[in-house]
Amino acid sequence: MSQNVTELSPIVPEFETLSLLLASDQLSIFFPILQKGVMVPATVGCTLKSLLCDQFAIPADYVSDRITTIFVDNCPVDDLDRTVIQDGSRVTLSAAMPGLVGATMRRGGYYAALRQGISHVLDSGKASNECGIVHLKLFNLLLTELGSLILARGLLLKSEELTALLKNLPELPISTHYGAGRTLLSVTFRE
Amino acid sequence: MDKIARIDMGAAGGPKVTVGDLGQYAGLGGRAMTSLMVAAEVHPLAHALGAENKLVISPGMLSGTTGSMTGRLSVGCKSPLTGTIKESNAGGQAAQVLARLGYAAVVLEGKPEGDDLYKIVINKDGIQVIADNSLKLMDNYPLVAKLRQEYGDKVAYMTIGSAGERKLLAASIACTDPELRPTRHCGRGGVGAVMGAKRVKAIIIDDAGMKMRPPKDPEKYRDANRKFVEGLRKHPVTGEGLPAYGTNVLTNVLNEAGGYPTNNFKSGQFAESASLSGETQAALEIQRGGSATHGCHRGCVIQCSGIYNDKDGNYVTKQPEYETVWSHGGHCGISNLDTVARLDYMDDNIGVDTIEMGVTIGVAMDAGLAEFGDDAAAIRLMEEVEKGTPLGRILGSGAAITGKVFGVERVPVVKDQALPAYDPRAIQGIGVTYATTTQGADHTAGYAIATNILKVGGDVDPLKTEGQIELSRNLQIATAAIDSTGMCLFIAFAIMDQPETFQALLDMLGSFNGITMTGDDVVALGKKVLSAERDFNTRAGFNKHHDRLPRFFYNEPIAPHNQTFMMKDEELDEVFNW
Repeated sequence: MSQNVTELSPIVPEFETLSLLLASDQLSIFFPILQKGVMVPATVGCTLKSLLCDQFAIPADYVSDRITTIFVDNCPVDDLDRTVIQDGSRVTLSAAMPGLVGATMRRGGYYAALRQGISHVLDSGKASNECGIVHLKLFNLLLTELGSLILARGLLLKSEELTALLKNLPELPISTHYGAGRTLLSVTFRE
Repeated sequence: MDKIARIDMGAAGGPKVTVGDLGQYAGLGGRAMTSLMVAAEVHPLAHALGAENKLVISPGMLSGTTGSMTGRLSVGCKSPLTGTIKESNAGGQAAQVLARLGYAAVVLEGKPEGDDLYKIVINKDGIQVIADNSLKLMDNYPLVAKLRQEYGDKVAYMTIGSAGERKLLAASIACTDPELRPTRHCGRGGVGAVMGAKRVKAIIIDDAGMKMRPPKDPEKYRDANRKFVEGLRKHPVTGEGLPAYGTNVLTNVLNEAGGYPTNNFKSGQFAESASLSGETQAALEIQRGGSATHGCHRGCVIQCSGIYNDKDGNYVTKQPEYETVWSHGGHCGISNLDTVARLDYMDDNIGVDTIEMGVTIGVAMDAGLAEFGDDAAAIRLMEEVEKGTPLGRILGSGAAITGKVFGVERVPVVKDQALPAYDPRAIQGIGVTYATTTQGADHTAGYAIATNILKVGGDVDPLKTEGQIELSRNLQIATAAIDSTGMCLFIAFAIMDQPETFQALLDMLGSFNGITMTGDDVVALGKKVLSAERDFNTRAGFNKHHDRLPRFFYNEPIAPHNQTFMMKDEELDEVFNW
């Protein structure tokens, strides 16, 4: 296992930043927190498509073909261009799901009528770009495929979340002074 | 499959076997066979546990062939749980083996006098019915182990556990998987109680000396099957998601949608859902030396099952399905996968439906018999069922009975069958199917998500309210047809999205029978099956007022969307107007 700990210049000035370089087989350690949800610094007031493609740098064809199920604030999303992300929005990304309900939740799917009443209402307001935080969850196949990209970009963790996470990296020379407030954790993986 | 075996368990002088030709049932299989036969031959007012009821066992139309995914077995009867017609199907090896022996159906009729218990041996030489009282009150795992000592490992077993013998209304019929574990169950509707009422403990099916069923056009069939398999393998659901995580991959998504019924349908979200998710389950299975990818029958390419081991690497149970993880998990406020796995094993061993039992335990918790989230209490309640105590017999008779006995108002059933793992207040359209299906609340009654390509009922605007009624109708028609083929319903994802895969399925059906099949033929079959089922239910006393959800779904909004079920009764009454 190869691990380095380096203090970096903070992306978000008010947060202490911790950067890790890990072996690629350690990505799965982060799956539990990624499926429960993590806080990600982002420019908000933008469309969901912009968040995914411009900020997260996810290729547009991957978004359209692979991320077939998306929730914003528990509501299934059909139109990425008409969904505006606010500070504190909860964004959940999933690949195609089985079952009738899986098909029902699919973005713009044939069975969308079956979930009428909880579908995300299209936003008509103008986008305004501001700094904020998005609560992001990754499910199923996307954990493996997008996990490293999101981790490299950085997550904001509360001290207890960071401590719990670092316990799963036993060979890491832990410095416990990351105890106060939130820390921006950035993780990159060796190929 | 050119013959039907009828076994009169109540014949004078002991059970009598008659093998005849297909007659009016020629060309049928699976749900089409079971439902059309029950509708034609069972008195609709018969007592479900009486001599007048029949238990029809039928492989699918393509079972026993070299075709992939063709291993579903249908069991039909009048249901002791719902009082309606019932078709319950399962994977495992039984369908393939029975089909190779040439039986389109095996029908258990009558009811024996006395207390003797029987096993039925079916092989190339015929059918024997043998009294064997040494099997009395054995549960499925030890029962199959004992039978294997006598009949070996190259057969398929269909068995009932103690629940079926006790005629509990949640009782299932177990079918063994390729490793001869009794893990695949015809679970819904109490079909195990009907088998128990006929005093049949086990059916041993031995296809030694038999060959695969030959298609009329072997070359075309082989080519169609190859294309069909390619389609399944390249689709992200059947080729990636299901093999990696199984059906429990839905836990996270349903919870996120606010449609994950929690603590007996009090909330649409469970705070600990990630602990139960398919992602967590698959990682745990692999870490413990089990498997997250496993087929329930030979010839399955989707491999959505798995092997769940304990922390020491010992087998506990097969990978619990999403509905099981929900019913024993979030529905009861339980977040420990080891507890869920143990309860799943107990369900399989005793021989009860995992959905019905999990929902029942949640209702019992609402009644104050245990606290939500109390793992040990849930296991204790299951042990009552295992022992056959008076409390256990109540619980083993399902959620509706338990709710009545203990005075619980929030009892999630339709036609006395427990609702599965999708809250109809969040996903209104599935509530339409729960309410109106001929089977009692059943998510798989409207599961064949291929209506767009089948063009069942024409195109539907998915963004209009009335689309929900039409979609539910179309889904129920398509499902009735797929259930008749012996195909696993999970093939629907690939045929929904890939026209060439749907065509391959049609070509498999057509080339096997030497005919040309179209989507219209599939739709006609589905309508025929549903019409027969509706007719039976009408004659059994069911009407539109039974096609409703319990009132609490209309009165109690559920978080996080704070919605009630809003479909109007008049709209529900339109589902079967075609």
